[in-house]
Amino acid sequence: MTKVNTGMAVNRITNEVWEIPVTEKSGMLVPARIYATESVLSSMDGGVFEQVTNVACLPGIQRYALCMPDGHWGYGFPIGGVAAFDPSHGVISPGGIGFDINCGMRLIRTDLTLSDVQPRLEQLMTELFRKVPAGVGSKGFVRLNRQDFQNVMRKGVRWCVENGHGWNEDLARIEEHGCIPGADPSKVSDHAIERGIHQLGTLGSGNHYLEVQVASDDRIFDRETAAALGITGHDQIVVMVHCGSRGFGHQVASDYLRVFEKAMRRYGISVKDQQLACAPFRSPEGQDYFAAMNCAANSAFANRQVITHQIRKAFESVFGRSAEELGMEIVYDVAHNIAKVERYAEGELVVHRKGSTRAFGPGSQELPELYRATGQPVICGGSMETGSYLLVGTDQAMRDTFGSTMHGSGRTMSRAQAKRSVRGDKLQRDMAQRGIIVKAVSMSGLAEEAGFAYKNISEVVETVERAGITKKVAELRPIGSIKG
Amino acid sequence: MTFTFRFLEEVALADLAFEACGDSPSELFQAAAQAVIETIVNPMTVQPCREKSIERRAPTIADLLFDWLSDIVYLKDAESIVFREATAVVTQDQNQGEWQLHGTLTGAPIDPNSQELHADVKAVTKHLYEVRQEGPRWVARVVLDI
Repeated sequence: MTKVNTGMAVNRITNEVWEIPVTEKSGMLVPARIYATESVLSSMDGGVFEQVTNVACLPGIQRYALCMPDGHWGYGFPIGGVAAFDPSHGVISPGGIGFDINCGMRLIRTDLTLSDVQPRLEQLMTELFRKVPAGVGSKGFVRLNRQDFQNVMRKGVRWCVENGHGWNEDLARIEEHGCIPGADPSKVSDHAIERGIHQLGTLGSGNHYLEVQVASDDRIFDRETAAALGITGHDQIVVMVHCGSRGFGHQVASDYLRVFEKAMRRYGISVKDQQLACAPFRSPEGQDYFAAMNCAANSAFANRQVITHQIRKAFESVFGRSAEELGMEIVYDVAHNIAKVERYAEGELVVHRKGSTRAFGPGSQELPELYRATGQPVICGGSMETGSYLLVGTDQAMRDTFGSTMHGSGRTMSRAQAKRSVRGDKLQRDMAQRGIIVKAVSMSGLAEEAGFAYKNISEVVETVERAGITKKVAELRPIGSIKG
Repeated sequence: MTFTFRFLEEVALADLAFEACGDSPSELFQAAAQAVIETIVNPMTVQPCREKSIERRAPTIADLLFDWLSDIVYLKDAESIVFREATAVVTQDQNQGEWQLHGTLTGAPIDPNSQELHADVKAVTKHLYEVRQEGPRWVARVVLDI
């Protein structure tokens, strides 16, 4: 038993799994489980323990409230939080999904190698920076009227493909084929539409990015699985995108937090934190939010699709060959801020993942045929100065964590402290000397994202590997980055 | 006029928290608005060429401040405007107890070439959100999702 960063008892279950029993906080319905090595656990902020045990008090929660090793303080749920609820008696909570609904990761492969790209890297990054708008107030190149935007909400990536912003083959390589059923635009406010209608195909700011990365032979851990995922090594160039539903999703979350504050009084639900506002999943308010959240989720898939289209155009323009000839297929696209209805031993459950990635194991019927043998690709972004990882889901994740794993490295330093520690322009120059070209809209925003402000992603990845909930496939090293 | 704000590092590791203070509700609203404005942009780089009037009513001062700050975030995305400064007149209707705001935001369309843009604020949150009176001073604690 330990009491690291918390007054609560934290019992070791295995070297990578720790449990806070229900006796540690009044109202806990299930224990809380944290995935971490002892060193990762000791580096977690106290908010993680407080918040994961608050989640364990929510009505209808099943088995455990979980937190992944990249966990840190969030709103309501900790970042890295996973919780599943009985749909008949349990709740849905925007605080378990986050303001950036379907914030997620996409990885695109190419047949290019470092030696092909290095001589034109500056030109490529300039072209990507021009074609993929980033930062405050950026607008996408796709002009939508209200009807178009409602179709984006309903159809997600299918709308993009129908309108020339993607390939038919892209659909199978995206979680849910880029379109979650049940999206209902009538459940979305005018404010949300007005915030999002001009933002399709934009990155945003904060920790969102577009990176050009290298898959080197010495950083491929499972060659057979990597090959099945289209990662061939030999200094292969890949592109990673991290962004979400932009102002549209942020407003959907804000709108329904207000709805749920009132609904909780009606349903007699009390929570430990205002940001855990929730409603019974089957209530009118719960179903309205779920339908609106799916609109935002589909728009986020479409956002990453339009960005992919622009990335392909940038590569075509710089390398003078078509994206098809360059082998620019999507490896996978997966959400890490979402709630979904999924089937487990208990039956159908409403699984909330906030800063946590779905990690379905081999054989899952939800996976496309091409990944049914390998398990689902999981894309985990590190800081812009270090590596990112490609992993695959496992059977053990299906049994232990509702098919979930980590999503990134997790911050350890405040934004203000990072800005005091380094200037954005100096960081940009230092990274250029190390072979990483950075294009950024905001130099202060760049400083906030310095590598030293984040946990060591390799240690986080090792934790989920040893815990058996994902398997390492490859580490991807950045050589170019676009930041908002 | 003695309104101030300061950012709170210890509260929000991945995001941004601030405490705003004023000698009156009106000053508090100006201070908090300025904190949100400066999170998004360096206001000295924004020309005062557009004005937005905000009229709001709410049952509590905390609800009214939340709506006022959320308006700044909404206008950033929906109308692509960032601001240089804010003025606010906040009163309480003695009969109904309702709070009213007459606010003005002065700024300009977003222009990355001339403005020093900072963070694209996603939302004003209710995490640790608080508006309180400390003697003659009005104080608010706000966490922004970045």
